[in-house]
Amino acid sequence: MSIHHKMLGVATMLYLLVFFLHILYFSLKKEKIHSAIWATLYGAIFIHTLGLVFRWVESYGLDMGHVPLANYYESLIFFAWSVTFMLIVMRKKIPYPAITMCASLASLFLMGYASISPSVDRNIQPLIPALQSNWLHIHVITCFVAYSAFVISFVCGSLYFVEWKGVVPPKKVLDDINYRSVVIGFPMLSAGILTGAVWAHYAWGSYWSWDPKETWSLITWIIYALFLHARLVRGWREKRIALISIIGFMSVMFTYFGVNFILSGLHSYAT
Amino acid sequence: MLGTVVKQGATPEEYLALYSENTYKIITLFGLDDAYHAPWFIALIALFALSLVLCSLRRLTLFARETKVVMLPGEDKLLKMDLHSYVPEKDFDEVLGLLTRRYGLAVRDEQGVVLEKGRLSRYGVFIIHASIIIILAGSFIGLLFGYKGFVTLKIGETKDRLVLRGKDPAEMPLGFAVMCKDFKVSFYPTGEPKDFVSTVEIVENGKIVAGKEIRVNEPLSYKGIRFYQSHYGSTPVFFFNVGGERVVLAEREAFRKNSLLLMVARYERKVHDFGPGVLVAYLDGNEPKATWFLKNVDRLREQNLQGIKVNLNDIQERPYTGLEVSRDPGVFVVWTGFVFILFGLYVNFFVRHRRIYLLKTAGGPLVAGTALKNKGNFDKEFKKLLEEIHVHTP
Repeated sequence: MSIHHKMLGVATMLYLLVFFLHILYFSLKKEKIHSAIWATLYGAIFIHTLGLVFRWVESYGLDMGHVPLANYYESLIFFAWSVTFMLIVMRKKIPYPAITMCASLASLFLMGYASISPSVDRNIQPLIPALQSNWLHIHVITCFVAYSAFVISFVCGSLYFVEWKGVVPPKKVLDDINYRSVVIGFPMLSAGILTGAVWAHYAWGSYWSWDPKETWSLITWIIYALFLHARLVRGWREKRIALISIIGFMSVMFTYFGVNFILSGLHSYAT
Repeated sequence: MLGTVVKQGATPEEYLALYSENTYKIITLFGLDDAYHAPWFIALIALFALSLVLCSLRRLTLFARETKVVMLPGEDKLLKMDLHSYVPEKDFDEVLGLLTRRYGLAVRDEQGVVLEKGRLSRYGVFIIHASIIIILAGSFIGLLFGYKGFVTLKIGETKDRLVLRGKDPAEMPLGFAVMCKDFKVSFYPTGEPKDFVSTVEIVENGKIVAGKEIRVNEPLSYKGIRFYQSHYGSTPVFFFNVGGERVVLAEREAFRKNSLLLMVARYERKVHDFGPGVLVAYLDGNEPKATWFLKNVDRLREQNLQGIKVNLNDIQERPYTGLEVSRDPGVFVVWTGFVFILFGLYVNFFVRHRRIYLLKTAGGPLVAGTALKNKGNFDKEFKKLLEEIHVHTP
């Protein structure tokens, strides 16, 4: 077991700790615990980042140096990282433990799945020629930043339907944060699709090949475009917006997991 | 969505292997085998583009009307705005001087001024929609005037046509020739390919006009036609000795010596346990016959066909490189659309249009402000501005 696996393991434990701290907070309601939650989250992302950097460095030692964004395991780990990153970016806008709890639970799930599932290859793998491009970084980063913004949007959309006084933030707040995260996610997804298209033009000879992943990312893009139009043009709020954000996230999940497992295509590196 | 479930652009045989005959009839009826080029799909896209055009036109007329409307409202209207405040005992010009540090002047008359920031954000939606139209136009240009195909080249081989992709593959002239000087593959210790490189030269009118090492992610472009490294493989060549004459044949190549006509019909890397072998077809009178030559079996390496001694000396694998060839004159239009759509998204979501009004009234200068989006932030900014006015102006 390499050092980066251990560090990522520690990060996973910290995400678990974040979850327990939330439970503690909800039962005791002490402001100190709330600060501890954030301190742990900062610690987690620090170790998590170090883990990614060590993996990166080790890949050079193995003579196949590449940024750890290239296979399914690495994408899961980076997905978890970007969810936490998004929490920290939006920290001022989301001082609500219910949201941080659900989002860090998502990170915990992703990390746990990545490190436990027998179907995930955790070794550093060589970079196949198609992935040897500088577009890899920008494409993967923009896509996962978008995905993680949609995680927050989904959390808000789902919490909207949960009635739990003192735990779930007010509905208006949820609606507002939902919108804000889509405002980050949508341009990022657009950038992800466009950088992917430019890359595809150089690697596959066509900027759009209707590959299942491409098609589903377009479907996701259309759903979030509808979200924005419904809100900004039709003036939809709260319940219906929450519903669209849930549908949108289902589409994100299918684009990420579903397409990898069910449909074959040009993006099949990630399985 | 259906397009991702049904495999696209495959041959009828592949479909019939997957689906029953009736299902296949339904698939072809609705064009589901090539859904993204089916008439109904293109019609849908056209409809979508049309609605975007109409939407954008409506917005343009709104802009045209709006620019005439920007004017300084009266005191009563400013007082109705959420954010407003009198700054009595302050000098109008001093306040104006402070405000213009952060805001641009939009209107000025004797009574007061309108200042604003982030006006561009009003055009954000228009820019986004217009860029989608540009992207669709670009892809349509590609659809009409572009093509996709491939060439396979052995080392040293020159070709001046490509094979078009599609239901019935056809050949098309390139307008120049492409020659493969060299091809190399390198592997990782794990056995996975690390890099494959074709050294290619473009020959036009007998002259070498361009050359490049084509790798995955590093295509060669000449006269708008792009060559991409897509795959590689190897084809066998067979070294025969036919009646004392050395002959090199590729698969499906024929050779005639006197009355003997022979052709390499089929190659097997492993014929049972006997190693590589090749099936050679020949004519016995008018009757076609075939016989196996096995490289590693002495008895089958040398045979007598029609009284002529035929000897299989060697079989070698010759690598070839597969190059994807495409021409898409719409690509730069699409790129332009991409740049504009990203700019439009940025302007629309991250630039905020804010207006500040400054009016001379009997009770001293009156400051008021409006913002369309993110009012909370503007609240704070407005309060800060007022503070600054109080502190920094006489």
